[in-house]
Amino acid sequence: MGIARTLTIRAVTLIAVLILVLFMVVTVLGATGLSDKLLGAIVNERVRAERQSLAQSIRDPDELNRVMEARELELTKLYGLDLPWYLRLPQMAYRVLILDLGNARSLKSFKGSRVIADIVLERLPNTLLLMTSAIAISAVLGLVVGVKIGTNPGTRKDRALSYFSAISFALPTWWTGILLILTCAFWFQMTFGFKLFPPGGMYSTPPPADPWVAALDVVYHAALPVLTLVVALVGSYTYTARTIVLNVAQEDFVTVARAKGVPEKLVERRYIMRVAAPPILTNIIIGLAGSIGGAILTEAVFNWPGMGTLYYQAILQLDEAVIIALTYIFTLVYVAGRFILEVLYIALDPRVRY
Amino acid sequence: MSVRFREAWSEFWVSGVSKLGVAFLIALSAISIYVLVSYPLDFGLRRWNNPPIWSDNPKAVPPAWTTSFGGESVVEHTTFLATEPTNVTESAKSRTLTYEFSIDYGYDGFPSFTSLSVTNATFHTRAPQFTLFFERPDNATLKLLREVAPAKRSEEEPPVTRWTEPPRRVYLSGDDRVASAIQSFLSRDFELKVSRDLIMRVHPELPLFGVPKQENETLSWEVLKGTYHIRVEAELFDSRDTVGEIKYVLGGGVFGMMGTDSLGRDLAVGLIFGFPVALFIGFVTSTLTTVIGAAGGVASGYLGGKVDLIIQRAADLVYNVPLLPILIFFTFAVGRGLWVIVVILVAFGWPGLAIIVRSMVLQVRESQFIEAARSLGASRRWIMFRHVFPQVAPYVFSQLIFYTPSAILSEAALSFLGLGDPSIPTWGQILQLGFQSGGVYVGWWWWIVPPGLLIVVTAVTFVFLALGMEPVVNPRLRRMR
Repeated sequence: MGIARTLTIRAVTLIAVLILVLFMVVTVLGATGLSDKLLGAIVNERVRAERQSLAQSIRDPDELNRVMEARELELTKLYGLDLPWYLRLPQMAYRVLILDLGNARSLKSFKGSRVIADIVLERLPNTLLLMTSAIAISAVLGLVVGVKIGTNPGTRKDRALSYFSAISFALPTWWTGILLILTCAFWFQMTFGFKLFPPGGMYSTPPPADPWVAALDVVYHAALPVLTLVVALVGSYTYTARTIVLNVAQEDFVTVARAKGVPEKLVERRYIMRVAAPPILTNIIIGLAGSIGGAILTEAVFNWPGMGTLYYQAILQLDEAVIIALTYIFTLVYVAGRFILEVLYIALDPRVRY
Repeated sequence: MSVRFREAWSEFWVSGVSKLGVAFLIALSAISIYVLVSYPLDFGLRRWNNPPIWSDNPKAVPPAWTTSFGGESVVEHTTFLATEPTNVTESAKSRTLTYEFSIDYGYDGFPSFTSLSVTNATFHTRAPQFTLFFERPDNATLKLLREVAPAKRSEEEPPVTRWTEPPRRVYLSGDDRVASAIQSFLSRDFELKVSRDLIMRVHPELPLFGVPKQENETLSWEVLKGTYHIRVEAELFDSRDTVGEIKYVLGGGVFGMMGTDSLGRDLAVGLIFGFPVALFIGFVTSTLTTVIGAAGGVASGYLGGKVDLIIQRAADLVYNVPLLPILIFFTFAVGRGLWVIVVILVAFGWPGLAIIVRSMVLQVRESQFIEAARSLGASRRWIMFRHVFPQVAPYVFSQLIFYTPSAILSEAALSFLGLGDPSIPTWGQILQLGFQSGGVYVGWWWWIVPPGLLIVVTAVTFVFLALGMEPVVNPRLRRMR
């Protein structure tokens, strides 16, 4: 009962977020006239396709023109282009929801499809791979180091951590990536004649045939982008872990446990960590939105074939349909990620369960 | 109040991060004030994004100080300017003004380009003629080109002015006449037959500033060191005719303090302009965000009821929106203005503060001095302003500092994705152009490292300040020192 209720509340909030984003997107699209442009392009595309197929059966060009004009009017009605934009909102929102946004202007999927859903969805796994590995590595690192330092505050290491976390927070993710390319790829190439890590991409060309080698190849290509994201994330993760642990470690029950002679290892694990874990996780949950932003930029820098790189390309080529789809999918990824973390949170914090 | 402030200040000033933060902040502000005083406000449109202004600079070259680390000596970028002729000779029908520049050429490399500009030729009858002579240390003299100002049109009244806005600029490195002059010079002095095409391909500077070396069918050029004389002769046909300015540019392999980008723009100039822009974005965004967040939080916590419910639900929703995708979408759809970015950052930035401030206000609300104020008949607005807000003010202020870097970083991120305000150069935009030009793969570090470093330094300044303020706001952290 308790779990179900908490989870339902969270799910409803997150779905409301998704609806809010959808609503904002379609409103802006309508108000700026972009949705007319978008739907107009879809109608034109369909008219052209139908004209081509009809040209086989209707030989008379006048007849064909008449039929097509009628058809175009029909399609304009069907897509709601004869209505003002605010009446079209629900229809447009639904279109975004199921990614029915027509074709990309010049971007193509790896297999050559121009359908937006194809282009965006095939890149989703690559983005998830990059993001989850970076977040997982940062979370584990942050937790281990944060607890170590949080139980020994005021030391030189503690001060070093606060400087490092400040710099990690202030480092623009993409700039870190650029620096890594400059050093590990360009500088190594100039001084030693080989690249320590590749400057971008996900596979070597041509990709290795053996699946195990291919997997290693992906890891090799992912090293720099993941490192970039970890540098960006680990500072704040560690610092919050340290601060929360520090707060918990000053509680009376911890002092009592130490006074009782409970071994320090056990105090850390059972008394401090058990209490500190949920708020630390909360912080990771809150940081998720930021990690998504970081992932977009990191991908763009390393030309990682994910949705972030697609964003960059779509902006350069002014492809609004792709940008809408990406904004929606990123929100969806965020909402789903949040929900998974919430479930994890409930598993960690018994107070939510009862 | 002032006692409390002094206490807080001494608590703040203890830590090293605070001192560092304050020192950085003073430096940033000083530079920004300098820029505000000395730069025009429309610098972005009028100067930075105006290619003709930068055309006489070398393209994508490193800073000048890089040569001081040894290695081959690279040509230093030099501009020769003359407004007064060095010599005047008169004949029966004309007057010849001679402008002479001498170059002590001791570099190991060749110039990246050369150009000649003439500004403001005023004449009354016949259009003046300009001839450029190039004298080498080996006493060879080349007549590189001859320019005549466009003749007087019938409807024009003397005096006629030519080449003022813009001046007449000849890019000597890409000029066909220069190539012809070099071609005949090579065949005359070195008995070397080459096509004009080849001269253009190897760049005219090589034969001009060098000696050909032919070994096993391959042609190479060796630098000819010594004193070169560049002579411009202007022939005027009326005693009232004047010439404004003659400029000869020896394109260097290095430039200025920070080098140039691929359009020849002086990066030092653009980077310095970025200081006030970054601070402006940071301050405006964080101020608006904290004002709205704090007001929302205080109202929500103190008033309770429906107001509380609405504000908290709204905050919950907005707080959960992933910022960067939304920012990308909005700037793409609405427009790439600085204000669009600021408004969106504020619109999605306030909830975090509102939620925390509310929880603090809930505690304050129950305290006795609030009850006392209420029983004395103070209005709700008065209590919120004068009694509740001061209680949360230190925290709000620390958040004001804390939001500043995130606004700066968000703007930089958007600029990096190509969505920056095109009329105002920022560090993010400079970096983006460097990245997009492929600077990472060819090692144009002077274009890529400094803007990022400045973003980091600016952001770190505020993070340090916020860190230093943490013990003031959260007394629990005070004990450890």
